[in-house]
Amino acid sequence: MGQNSLVEKLSLQAESFQEGFELLTKSNSFEELTKNFWHILRGNFITTNIHLFHKASKESEWTSIKTEGKPGDFDFSFLDKINLTPVKYFENEKYTAVVALPLSDSLYLGILFGSKLDGSGFNDFDKITLQILLQVFSSAHKSFINQKNEKKLVFELNEKILQLNNLIDTGIEISRFDKKNVLFDLAIERIVTLTNASSALIRVINIANATMDRQITFPDKLNPDDIINSRYKIEFNFDFNNKQYLFALSEKETRKGVTSFSDLDKLLLQAIARQVQASIENEYLLKQSLEKERIEKELALAAAIQQRIIPKELPRIDGYEIAAINIPSKEVGGDYYDCIDLGDNKFAIIIADVAGKGISAALLVNTLNAALYSYLEFNLPLTELADRLNKLIFKSSPPDKYITFFIAVLHSKTGELDIVNAGHNPILLLRKDGILDQIEAGGIGLGMLDLGIPYTGQSLVMNTGDKLFLYTDGIPEAMNIREEEYSDERMIGFLKNNSEKSPQDFIRLIVWDVRQHVGTAQQSDDITSLFVKRFE
Amino acid sequence: MSTEFNLISELHNKTLIIKTEGYINNIGGEKIVRELEKHSDVNKLILNLEKSKVVNSIGISHLIEVIEKLNHVNGKLIFTNLDPTIEKTFNIMGLFQFAEKADSTESALK
Repeated sequence: MGQNSLVEKLSLQAESFQEGFELLTKSNSFEELTKNFWHILRGNFITTNIHLFHKASKESEWTSIKTEGKPGDFDFSFLDKINLTPVKYFENEKYTAVVALPLSDSLYLGILFGSKLDGSGFNDFDKITLQILLQVFSSAHKSFINQKNEKKLVFELNEKILQLNNLIDTGIEISRFDKKNVLFDLAIERIVTLTNASSALIRVINIANATMDRQITFPDKLNPDDIINSRYKIEFNFDFNNKQYLFALSEKETRKGVTSFSDLDKLLLQAIARQVQASIENEYLLKQSLEKERIEKELALAAAIQQRIIPKELPRIDGYEIAAINIPSKEVGGDYYDCIDLGDNKFAIIIADVAGKGISAALLVNTLNAALYSYLEFNLPLTELADRLNKLIFKSSPPDKYITFFIAVLHSKTGELDIVNAGHNPILLLRKDGILDQIEAGGIGLGMLDLGIPYTGQSLVMNTGDKLFLYTDGIPEAMNIREEEYSDERMIGFLKNNSEKSPQDFIRLIVWDVRQHVGTAQQSDDITSLFVKRFE
Repeated sequence: MSTEFNLISELHNKTLIIKTEGYINNIGGEKIVRELEKHSDVNKLILNLEKSKVVNSIGISHLIEVIEKLNHVNGKLIFTNLDPTIEKTFNIMGLFQFAEKADSTESALK
């Protein structure tokens, strides 16, 4: 064939080469690309005896792509005969042309051409055509690889955006209080999505007794040991409030199988676990805050009850001066005092102290106060009154609650005092001449026991110049920072030294003296005191 | 390690309806691709994901493969009954540029 004729023929083929390139670049897979190329080759060389192979690298084995024969039918040694040029032509051999074309991603395309339909070999025109077609294929393959890489890049970029978005969304959802019941389910689903983990585990262990509080897996029917014992695994855990929270992921997925997790996956796992931790901590702090609020409300209620019971002002008693004080400690206490006008110049003087503090103590004082007013109406002997109160308090209080109680009914005209002391500190009656009577007659504290043991009463006379001092243990037992008590001795000494002062001044000064002793230490108990002085 | 994934399919002329259940990961995604490949003449795939609440990016890459296969035969993919989280995921990954979504299988069939 002459040069001009060859050029003319190739010019006519140019459009066909272009169409072939366009067809190849539309391929979605390497398999489709080579299949389309096979059709192009068949059309150009008028033969069906064309067989396509590929290998992943120079050293790899050839694998069939498109052929009508079986692997054993081919002699791959022809392909291996090619060294410097991708095409080699043979005469009088099994194959007329052999191609081993290196491609851009280290792949090799192998082609074995048998005889053409007319039995002829490759002429010059065929050889040039084949060279051009191999160039076309190589370019189309590069384009295919570029497209593939571009898709991969876009996918990876979108994946990163998705991860960031997921992380933000998860943080928001985990912190929502209406999601608390599904906190772990939400966290486990998000972390497998973020990391492409095959499976995940969240385990909550009670550290104190090494028991399992909760365990969830994703997928939910999975054996947790499969995750724990997995070859490809990452873990993260944190401790909070005596519990350990373990997060484990197993087998990172790829299209080709499973692999180990990356550093980014570890960071993502930590990020989700930390968000869960923050949520658990916040919930705990909220509960604590609500509990504190509840206690404060309870204490306010207790204080309100106590303030309602403690008299705002004391009755006026002719010939007597009287003053009292109640200073609750930080917690609402159970101290109580009163002075009740019973009519006919009789006055009930009461002081009491409930064992314990808080609303239960305040309620018990309330019970005592209500019952006392009721029983005083019946003008009962004080011993019987104490017995009835004992039975009532015993029934209406838990075993650890009881009340120390002192009552004196003062006949103001005569100064007679009918007294019962139910387990309270000795009440002090300081005579005008300085002699001190300690009044203890009575019995056990109210509500301690209900054994029918009768209370003992006592009768005394309070003469002009005598002083009656009632107090609760908040005075003698007040402690300073060295845990030294104010003491009975100091209290009695103070009484003796200051008894001539007015009751108001006496009360004010003894409180001041107690506070001097306590100093910077916290007031540990209520301070309650009542001081009566007969001046006529 | 096995993960729980199941699917059921129905064929209506050239429309294939696949209902999935469970994690759409590598295994789940592959099963969807294989199911489509069983039906060479299908040009419309309705993928009901009502019982699939979690999908990872490997699962998504299989779904992209499904879209490409259908595009090649001028077919289309319609997702239905999408969980809001999955819908957002597909949106970010750009799947709705090449696939549609519908509220239910019935509306996707119209």
